Amino acid sequence: MSEKNVIPKNETVLSVSDLVVRFEGGGRQSKKKIVRAVDGVSFEIVRGEILALVGESGCGKSTIAMAVMRLLKPTSGQIISGGVNLATIHGRALQRARQRIQMIFQDPFGSLDPRQTVMEAVSEPLLIHKVGDSAGERKEMVFEALRMAQLNPPERLSENFPHELSGGQRQRVAIASAMILSPELVVADEPVSMLDVSARAGILRLMMDLRDRLGVSYLFITHDLATAWVVADRIAVVYLGRIVETGPSEVLVKNPAHPYTQALLNASQDGDATISAAAMVLKGEAPSAAAVPTGCRFHPRCPKYVELGKPESCRSEDPRLRVIKKGEITRRDHSAACHFTDEVK
Amino acid sequence: MSVLRISDLTIDYRLGEGSVRAVDHVSLEIEAGEAVGIVGESGCGKTTLGLSVPLLLPTNASISDGQIVLNGESLIGRSEEEMNHLRWKSVAFVFQGAMNALNPVHRIDKQILEAIQTHEPETSKDDAQARVLELIELVGISPSRAKSYPHEFSGGMRQRAMIAMSLACRPSLLIADEPTTALDVISQAQILALLGELRRQENLSLVMISHDLSAIKKVCDRIVVMYAGVIVESGPTDTVLRRKNGVVTAAHPYTKALMGAHPDLSGERILAPGLVGNPPDLSKPITGCRFAARCPEAMEVCRTQTPPTVTITPGHSAACHLAVRSAS
Repeated sequence: MSEKNVIPKNETVLSVSDLVVRFEGGGRQSKKKIVRAVDGVSFEIVRGEILALVGESGCGKSTIAMAVMRLLKPTSGQIISGGVNLATIHGRALQRARQRIQMIFQDPFGSLDPRQTVMEAVSEPLLIHKVGDSAGERKEMVFEALRMAQLNPPERLSENFPHELSGGQRQRVAIASAMILSPELVVADEPVSMLDVSARAGILRLMMDLRDRLGVSYLFITHDLATAWVVADRIAVVYLGRIVETGPSEVLVKNPAHPYTQALLNASQDGDATISAAAMVLKGEAPSAAAVPTGCRFHPRCPKYVELGKPESCRSEDPRLRVIKKGEITRRDHSAACHFTDEVK
Repeated sequence: MSVLRISDLTIDYRLGEGSVRAVDHVSLEIEAGEAVGIVGESGCGKTTLGLSVPLLLPTNASISDGQIVLNGESLIGRSEEEMNHLRWKSVAFVFQGAMNALNPVHRIDKQILEAIQTHEPETSKDDAQARVLELIELVGISPSRAKSYPHEFSGGMRQRAMIAMSLACRPSLLIADEPTTALDVISQAQILALLGELRRQENLSLVMISHDLSAIKKVCDRIVVMYAGVIVESGPTDTVLRRKNGVVTAAHPYTKALMGAHPDLSGERILAPGLVGNPPDLSKPITGCRFAARCPEAMEVCRTQTPPTVTITPGHSAACHLAVRSAS
């Protein structure tokens, strides 16, 4: 057996290409602002793979998740999963497709109905998708899902209401109900950021464990680069609706090519330097997606741009993602969208 | 001289028939210009401890024991009127999620002005207005945006505005409860840098309450780790949170577990085991060490005897039987 088998079956579970999501702002017709929340994003996830989308609030990472879940309709682009383009289907076909893609939300306090028992919450997807022949069978499936989420003993816990559970346990319930339909892909939007630090590792470990055992893939949305680094196989850094850098987690963290990734890394490093870290912090706010800067969208905040004497190309040409270092397979290339990547090292 | 001295502070919450001891004989001293971080899981008593200083505890809480001395004056038992005089001027508080506490229908500058006028009616309007602009600049908001409404600001900017407001009456002590929790990494780093700067520029003493160790590491000189209502470890941030090549100098297993909970980008690419279980029920008496049930290093003695607080190096202490053992 060759080493290639380390990478799970190369079967694509999700392929997003040129995804664009635009929102129309309020106001009078003449003054209407177009918000380019997602502005041409492409990525692929194979079976058993974890891809992390990392970026600041407002960068569009959650909008990408919503589009993949078809909780909103993309303006253009393709979202291919299970042989269908999720971007264009609706009705029955969409409902069928949704069975294969499930979501875990950030807030386990808000995502569970306070009046539903754990049993009711976790069995709901079965009822919606008409899975299971009898109430007894469904009950068994719920117990199995709870055991899988390490909620033991399931018989007792299934009787509980959300308020009787800790934050970590609630997120486990959310995971159980996401997993009960045996999805191929789970979209996890900041699944641990609202949890106590002590509960986080347990949830992440559970998610990784389910990947190993069931071969489920994750689109993992987070603002925390360090967590993405340990959890994900690959990372895509999102800035103002675009992927600005992507590559295998280890490569991207050890050799960040885009100045924005470098800034993010600096902000996430908890090394001994207290002030120098602060000095590297990007000046200013992330510009709004309603007024995307010309040229490279990062140039108004880019330390490299200033360092290089404000080159014209950064202001006028929109850099495209290009390969910096070839991976063993195309999907694992390390790419960045910066005119001066090579100089950046 | 110490700005704040808390000794043997004990706070109980009445809940139905019973009560919960949220803070149990905690002592803490903060010097002028010092920044101290209080860290712990939700429910460990860190917010209750913070709220006790300006006596802003919820109505079902009562201070059953101990002393709080601010700038040499004892606070416990003071009337609401006297406290109103001290709040803002001596001690200011930035609440958790404070950025959502701005009034949505008033401009930022007006809200800060109001704070000054309410608490220092003797200040003339011109002086107060000049101070508003000064404060706005101090926290890194461009004066041209002083007349914005809160919704025109991002989360990070709103948090800056709240910090500006908290400094309106030049307090000597600022207590900030999770000042960066709802913000993304970049805004977090900016706010932390700001707090660090303010401390030096304004000679402000700072108490930062957070569950985020890296935030505390960036700003604070000293760290206090709380677990289930007691201080389990305290010491210089550099010592307690040091992590070099996988070797830590933290003494308490709880501190080590907290440190391991967040992956270290400069270390190994592994997910730490994390903690199992929940903190103990504080409405019942606890025998032995409060952390014993979740402690990976618990010994027999931990379940039966309360660990004493031992000094490991000057200024660094921990309440753990393991520390007792290695000290003797």
